[in-house]
Amino acid sequence: MSAGNPLRRKTLAMRPWDWSFPSQPVSHREVISAQPAEPTGLPPLLMVHGLAHAAWCFGENWVPAAAERGFPSYAVSLRGHGGSAGARHLRRTMTRDYVHDVMQTITELPEPPVLIGHSNGALVAQLVAERYPLRGLVLLAPAPMHSSVGDLVAIGRDRPADLLRAVVGQTLSMEPDILFEGLDPQTARAYSDRTGPESPLVQWELLLRRKVGPVRCPVLVIGTPADRLVRPADVQRTADSYGVEPVWFAGMGHDVMLDTGWDDVLDTVLAFATDLPAWGTAALR
Amino acid sequence: MSGMARTPAKKTGPTFVDRGDAWCVVGAGPHGLSALKALLQNGIDADGYERESDVGGNWNFGAENSRVYESTHLISSKPFTQFPDFPMPDAYPDYPSHRQVKEYFGRYADHFGLRKRITFGHDVVRAVPVEDGRAWDVTVRDRVSAQETTCRYAGLVVGNGHNWSPKIPQYPGQDSFSGEILHSADYKGADVLRGRRVLVVGAGNTGCDVAVEGAQNAVHTWHSTRRGYYYNPKYMTGRPSDQVADSLLALRLPLAVRRVLFKTSLGIAVGDLTKFGLQKPDHAFFETHPIVNQQLVYYVGQGDITPVKDIDRFDADGSVFVDGSRADVDLVVFCTGYLVRFPFLEHEWLNWKDDHPHLFLQMFTPVYDNLVVTGLIQPDSGQWTLAHWQGILIARVAEALRTRPALAHGFLGRAAAEADRRYSAGARYKDSTRHYYEVAHQDYLRALQDAIHELEVSA
Repeated sequence: MSAGNPLRRKTLAMRPWDWSFPSQPVSHREVISAQPAEPTGLPPLLMVHGLAHAAWCFGENWVPAAAERGFPSYAVSLRGHGGSAGARHLRRTMTRDYVHDVMQTITELPEPPVLIGHSNGALVAQLVAERYPLRGLVLLAPAPMHSSVGDLVAIGRDRPADLLRAVVGQTLSMEPDILFEGLDPQTARAYSDRTGPESPLVQWELLLRRKVGPVRCPVLVIGTPADRLVRPADVQRTADSYGVEPVWFAGMGHDVMLDTGWDDVLDTVLAFATDLPAWGTAALR
Repeated sequence: MSGMARTPAKKTGPTFVDRGDAWCVVGAGPHGLSALKALLQNGIDADGYERESDVGGNWNFGAENSRVYESTHLISSKPFTQFPDFPMPDAYPDYPSHRQVKEYFGRYADHFGLRKRITFGHDVVRAVPVEDGRAWDVTVRDRVSAQETTCRYAGLVVGNGHNWSPKIPQYPGQDSFSGEILHSADYKGADVLRGRRVLVVGAGNTGCDVAVEGAQNAVHTWHSTRRGYYYNPKYMTGRPSDQVADSLLALRLPLAVRRVLFKTSLGIAVGDLTKFGLQKPDHAFFETHPIVNQQLVYYVGQGDITPVKDIDRFDADGSVFVDGSRADVDLVVFCTGYLVRFPFLEHEWLNWKDDHPHLFLQMFTPVYDNLVVTGLIQPDSGQWTLAHWQGILIARVAEALRTRPALAHGFLGRAAAEADRRYSAGARYKDSTRHYYEVAHQDYLRALQDAIHELEVSA
């Protein structure tokens, strides 16, 4: 916790609203997983998707590839997404519900995981990191905690119709050219078609400026210079708030776990997850 | 030191081990577990000791010192009660049973790898400050082989619980009573009540539970209480009532306003208790530990429970109450609570006055910097959210003692001055041994949060 860091606050024990209005559970949570052939002692990885995606975006490449490399790998579909229940209540769903879903998934793991969040899932992951002692935190093209109003303005300049739709509560456009740079058009189209609706409340919540308490685990931030949803400047600012330098992957789009070059990104993530200090011994951030 | 898994001495090991910078945590109930986890999580090596063969403490149903009974359920709902970093499963109900609670502690211990840090089946027989109070020699005894081992630790966390040593009252003529007398400590289920005339003494949550089970199983039940109480329902407006209550706290409504709102809503939900023959409460709301029991008033109304006053004396057939009425009974269940005991520590080390310890934040003694008591609180809400933050504070103190002693001593230096501070959120608790450890959860948690901030300041 560096003093004067505008995105940091002190440890928060008092959460009266969480106690009096707890997130209501949904009946089913989809968790895609793959286990290494034999125990390796490497920490489990839990992957959290962003807006309109679901566990499949990690299940496609990363979950099996990471398991092959010795990591017990899990990807969760947040409520209302993929195979998880809650689609009916999606319009009432808030970010705190996603935090609840991830916390629940963590308690089902055999030991504290490395949490990997993509885009809005990275925002959720940071909110989890201030509540739970993670082994490590990986932020892929993270939606900014310091309000994504800048990203929205950029989207508005780029694609005014998209911005308008998001403002009135429709799901942000997940067209292939927004998500991918290197993929062939058919694959890119197929992935784009798999995205689903998003909660308007969650999208609007992205405009909030949030602070998180001390995060005591190591943090890795990954961005792409050509990202059309989260501006590189915002990725940089997120990394700054943790006192780390982002790792950049050129030639890729926003969906770094699917776009051509996903294996290079995964290499970086797994190298980070391999070198983590024993649980809880990292310095305070 | 951290990360080096030096196994604490087992029964075949040496009889003295210097564990250097490591801390010792006594008890693997919820408070011991959370303290152990917080220490390890913050890079402080630590060993746990537990007399039983499993974690759970009081919730380890069937263990010698467990005080839960067959039907025990939580009386505070999940969000307040769970460890904030390890929520109870969605599949659990609002008020889980003691079996689910124990399973939950087991999962917590497994998830955070705590079991391998705990030596089970060992009693702590004594703990002695050494090296001018800079370390503690903790002697443990294997409950099977009776072999004793002593380990030296940099600090000692005591989480041995405060609900296990029964407080048994003595009334005139009690020895001449021909029926059976039981303390709730030995009450495990309703079987013992079946077909008998039962007198239940005490209006704690256990007393009310046992009275209700008496109504369901006994021939007849008398329920003796010193005073009238408020009986809170478990649900209001379809929500756990503690969640409703905390909405008012979240709005930071003052005590007087909350009292009016509570009395009004209880008046609508339950009504005038004196109409059921119950005593009128002699105190304002929030001045006694809350009773959460929706069924007691119902069974009083059905005539299965006869509310009676304080006991004056016993005779061979039953008991006579202070108003001269009497009840002939076969069984007396004293639900009269527990005494706080630290059999392995000297009382003076815990700032002991008027038969109970006086501790800063209910945790820190002015006598030793590295002696901490955890779990010596009775919140008006769930317990283990507080257990978690007590654990985090213990880790911060241990960390500060090691790396920033000036900060630690500045903080702990207030222990003597603040040992008598109460965290009652403005209410004045009824003076009874029952309320020595009572805390208003919001007030106490804010104090813990402030203490954690103080020690985090220059991190």
